[in-house]
Amino acid sequence: MLSRFIPCWANANYANFMNCLFSIFAKLVKFVKFALKQVCACHSIYCTYCLPLLFCLLFSGFGAAGQERVSMFMVDMGYASVHDSYLTPITYDGLDLGLTYEAMRPVRHDKWLWQLQVGADYNYVENNAKNNELHKLMGDITFDMQRQWHGVFTPKLNLSVGPMTQLRAGIVYDAVNSNNPVTLRAHWNVGVTGMATMGTRISRLPITLRYQLQLPAAGVFFAPEYDESYYEIYLGNHRSLAHLGWWGNRFDMTNYLGADLHLGKTTLRIGYRSRLEHWTVNHLKVHDVTHSLVLGLNL
Amino acid sequence: MLSRFISCGAHANHANFTNCLCSKFAESVKFVKFALKTRRGCHSIYCTYCLPFICLVSVLLGGCAQQDEFEQDQVGNFEALWTIMDEHYSFFDYKQVDWNEVYQLYRPLVSNEMTDRELFDICGDMLKELRDGHTNLIATHDVSRYWIWEQWPVNYDERIIDQHYLNFDYKMASGIKYQILTDNIGYLRYSSFSSGIGEGNLDLILSYLSTADGLIIDVRDNGGGLLTNVETLVSRFIQGKTLAGYICHKTGPDHNDLSEPYPYYFEPTKNHIHYLKPVVVLASRGSFSATNNFVSIMRSLDQVTVVGDTTGGGCGLPFTSELPNGWRVRFSSCPIMDAQERLTEFGVAPDVRVDMDEHDRTHDAILDTAIAILCGHAPAE
Repeated sequence: MLSRFIPCWANANYANFMNCLFSIFAKLVKFVKFALKQVCACHSIYCTYCLPLLFCLLFSGFGAAGQERVSMFMVDMGYASVHDSYLTPITYDGLDLGLTYEAMRPVRHDKWLWQLQVGADYNYVENNAKNNELHKLMGDITFDMQRQWHGVFTPKLNLSVGPMTQLRAGIVYDAVNSNNPVTLRAHWNVGVTGMATMGTRISRLPITLRYQLQLPAAGVFFAPEYDESYYEIYLGNHRSLAHLGWWGNRFDMTNYLGADLHLGKTTLRIGYRSRLEHWTVNHLKVHDVTHSLVLGLNL
Repeated sequence: MLSRFISCGAHANHANFTNCLCSKFAESVKFVKFALKTRRGCHSIYCTYCLPFICLVSVLLGGCAQQDEFEQDQVGNFEALWTIMDEHYSFFDYKQVDWNEVYQLYRPLVSNEMTDRELFDICGDMLKELRDGHTNLIATHDVSRYWIWEQWPVNYDERIIDQHYLNFDYKMASGIKYQILTDNIGYLRYSSFSSGIGEGNLDLILSYLSTADGLIIDVRDNGGGLLTNVETLVSRFIQGKTLAGYICHKTGPDHNDLSEPYPYYFEPTKNHIHYLKPVVVLASRGSFSATNNFVSIMRSLDQVTVVGDTTGGGCGLPFTSELPNGWRVRFSSCPIMDAQERLTEFGVAPDVRVDMDEHDRTHDAILDTAIAILCGHAPAE
């Protein structure tokens, strides 16, 4: 059923790629409408209760009607640096592209804040010699619940902090390598997130400034052994593939700094997002960094 | 102003990285204090709260970026190559190569003033010390290699077989050439394990050859390819779950950091045609890598006889790495052993050793021996 909504990513140039992005957005909206329509015709417990709940979580913002909510699509574009010693000892850098949906909503009389982020990002990075490139494609879902404090230091400043969980997975591909052309990335972790928001105005334009830090602390992640081939894994050797991650062997951090410009009923988001992923296990080392400009629009 | 706080060198490991983060945090706190102190009477909300946030983000993330460990010059590239091989190559002990001694031998020959071609030749010579057909240095202008089969008799001539055994009349499917010879012996020629084998094609080929009294599988001069194709082909000649061999890999940068050999098995392909009559596999020094693996597995089967020359070896699954200047280096990384847990890096010996007569342009002595064995005229040794 999904296949009819999955667009082609093979684009020869950036113009085509941007067209493709807009087409994905249109198809996603279409898919949501289609899925909701299918729910009406399906009477299983999953379809009747789970799917509406999922869409409710995704697109309606977790209950407590009548309060301010954020429901926004964002496009990230910027710089990416990828270092994966399983593929190459050289650090590659280049382009970061991302697409993120964010739903956020205060609940329980504004004491708590629920936040869900679903995203995908693609890195096209080259080596210094400019004769090879890596392709990194990742998808993630992050959910957190934060305790809010209003009017800290000043009536317009809100602070919040709380636990978060994140599932993130994808691949890094090197077309030139022989038996190590690809490496799988997957992790699930829990941690803390904190946010500071402040409402203010520039001239007559109301804006909301926001800084958020997401800091996973522990979890589980996948990594092959030092020079273990995926062929050996295919043959059935699954030893030492899952690892407990903590700050002793893994450090992830995502920072976001931005402003929401409230233009009537429309909210335009401009910001900066940085993501750091670093781990060392089995003598392998991964160190990925992105710095991106974020542009978003509310639904 | 920020630049004085943004600095961090290369990080060799996670400890260095976390140390760096801690130091960055301390620097950022210091910087925030500095920023607050120097706002000099600016009491706007932006200065009070936004500036520290921006500073914190910038300083925390500006440093601690990954940097490569090797210089971009000729010496740096040589050092990178030597280190990559030192940390990843898996046959130092098996081949009794003293890699530190090799470094002492070749390092004095390298200088930053030399040209790329000169550096490439020295690096290529250094890699030849490993005597490994899977080890190559790949640049835009050349590929260094140690191809042992170039120094041995070829023991294969396609023209002789096409003209004098097949009469230019043969079938072809899935990269396989096949026909039934005049003595009612099936002949199957597979020239590269890189050619994908379709299960349906293989059914039709083996169905056609099923009336023959025996089958010759000719993998001479087959330089290898995909190990999954080895499994596809071998699975048609076994009756039950069969131990194919053992595989291991490096678990760390030290020369002896090797995992426990992991046994792997092949099973007969379900719902497809199998060939269980006598089989002769023809091998030569040009049978390398995946072909060497195929011969080693087939040799362990009861109904199979290997005829010809010792295979070219190459039992290490090659990985690829990279130098700072963009040259690629391929090397043996994951040793694959046969069912007796022996390394076959230097080849698999045949059951019946035969060489072709280079001057006889009408007969293939290896093929003749195989036909004789399958016709019961010559006993398998």
